[in-house]
Amino acid sequence: MRKNLLAILLVLPALVMIVLFFIVPLIASILGAFEVGDAWGLGNFRKSFELYSSDMIFTVVIVTVSTALIGLFSIAIGGYLTLGENPRAVAILRWLYRWPMFIPFIVVGQILRTFLAKNGLMNNILVSLGILTPLQTVGFLDWRGIVIAFVWKQTPFVTLLVAGAMASLDRSTIEAARNLGASRLRILIEIVLPQIAGTLLVGLILSFVTMMSVLSVPLMINAQSPTMLTADIAFRINAHGDYGVANALGMISLILTTGVALIYLRQTMKERS
Amino acid sequence: MNGQAFLKVAGMSVGYGPTTVLDNLDLDIAKGEFVALLGSSGCGKTTLLRTIAGFAKPFSGRIEVAGRNVTELPPDKRGMALVFQSYALWPHMTVAQNIGYGLKLQKHSRETINSRVAEMQELLGLSGLGNRKPGQLSGGQRQRVALGRALAIDPEILLLDEPLSNLDARIRLTVRHEIRVLQKRLGITAVHVTHDREEAMVMADRIVIMNAGRIEQQGPPEEVYNKPASPFVAAFMGAENLLPMQVRVQGDLIELAEGEYNQTSVTSRSGRPLTTGPVELRFRAEAARLARVQDVAMQGTGHLELRGQIASVSYPGGHWRHAVRLGDREILVDADAPYNQGETVKVQIPADSLFIFNTSTNTAKIT
Repeated sequence: MRKNLLAILLVLPALVMIVLFFIVPLIASILGAFEVGDAWGLGNFRKSFELYSSDMIFTVVIVTVSTALIGLFSIAIGGYLTLGENPRAVAILRWLYRWPMFIPFIVVGQILRTFLAKNGLMNNILVSLGILTPLQTVGFLDWRGIVIAFVWKQTPFVTLLVAGAMASLDRSTIEAARNLGASRLRILIEIVLPQIAGTLLVGLILSFVTMMSVLSVPLMINAQSPTMLTADIAFRINAHGDYGVANALGMISLILTTGVALIYLRQTMKERS
Repeated sequence: MNGQAFLKVAGMSVGYGPTTVLDNLDLDIAKGEFVALLGSSGCGKTTLLRTIAGFAKPFSGRIEVAGRNVTELPPDKRGMALVFQSYALWPHMTVAQNIGYGLKLQKHSRETINSRVAEMQELLGLSGLGNRKPGQLSGGQRQRVALGRALAIDPEILLLDEPLSNLDARIRLTVRHEIRVLQKRLGITAVHVTHDREEAMVMADRIVIMNAGRIEQQGPPEEVYNKPASPFVAAFMGAENLLPMQVRVQGDLIELAEGEYNQTSVTSRSGRPLTTGPVELRFRAEAARLARVQDVAMQGTGHLELRGQIASVSYPGGHWRHAVRLGDREILVDADAPYNQGETVKVQIPADSLFIFNTSTNTAKIT
């Protein structure tokens, strides 16, 4: 009995934190989503879909495209780190690829804004190199800018997980394939990737959820419409004080992330069993 | 060795970074021969195998297969298949996919692959397991899948990197027999790395004993067992009993000088490259015989007789093992019946079981 009491006491601080800072606000915001004036109803959701349905699609498409690209790049980088045969190139890449991880999203947005704008650094370089004329330049400060920012920022994180998993593979499984004549690309796709698919999936899901919640990048790069749901939520609150629609939008993005979170849970359950 | 070398390693030096593991090594292997590379861990036997396979680049020297220089070729262009110590099966593929992967890479038709995989499964007793994943197999079955994957591409040379060391002792005995039978049946050339003396003896046509990156001795099992060329080989082949002595060489005879536990004994030189001076004498526990002091002398000539006390007795199975104290040394001697602890005994070692090596600095040259 006393042992139980001690156990509860030990768990209590964590429990209080979760209830106070996570569950209560979550319930409050879910309830708030259904509050229209003094009554309960679906008005906030109706309004959300009327005003922001294109932003919802925009958000899902951007985050999905980014996730796919992050997956591709992290496999390529991790694959080169694992299978690369030039030790110097591997060492340089290993040193370089992590840097974006340490740069906050807002700074990423700021850097890319000055880099990708119509008269930004990228186009200036291209023009001065004579590759483009000033008339041909295009700004990337739209959905492409957001995707570039997300991929640039999140690829190192997923690569870190993927490269770690690849490094801990039994190397002789790779050598056995080489012994039978598999090319490096085939080894990556047919031997390495299936063995680390679980880790890759987890990395991509965590990235997906992170990108769904980033506000600074869409604000910095693409403040016009359509934009991402996070920008809309901020706008509803800051410009209109409209917590109802903001909560409804929040719930919609929560439902979107819950889908992928379920995949994550199933994966971790599978790994533990 | 008979005939032309099929697999030839000439003047090869290999290492990792600044360290040289193998220095200027030569090895010839005939077609259809089963060669065991035997040595303790760190002697360079696995490095030799990996260099032959193409996974390590030699600093210098060449590797030839049937007269063709393969030194610079990638692993898959050498006509060799390697079976890994960890088996290295791909956990996400079924048994059939594992075995058939090499054929898939060679772009064979699906029917060819299927029939070859079925043939391999039949050969290795894996029929009916084609749809299992490696995780659902026993150690012995995994080992056979790894073997099947290597054999499926019909290699000229099969390289085995301690393929039995992850199996438990009982299965190991049957699997080594199976591999040997299979190798003979297919007539394939095989190079087998092992640190297990008995495994090498049972499986190989020829044993290559390696020590510190060099080949100490090579020859048929009975030759390296009965005529070890160096103290290292003698010890590695089980002659662990060691006694320092003085010898005098007179023509074809060697005189072992009288010591604190033996009388002078004369034995035949039998072609041993010995010179007068200090020697180390080695023999196996099972080669020596125990006798009571009053027992009559051993028949024949040239044997060595020692006198000592039984220090302890144990029964490892089949025979009794005695630790016999000789002055400040102890040797192990087997006998069919136990002797009493403290009893004074005679230890008789037949002439052909005595391994004698000069202890002077030039011992390394006795080959």
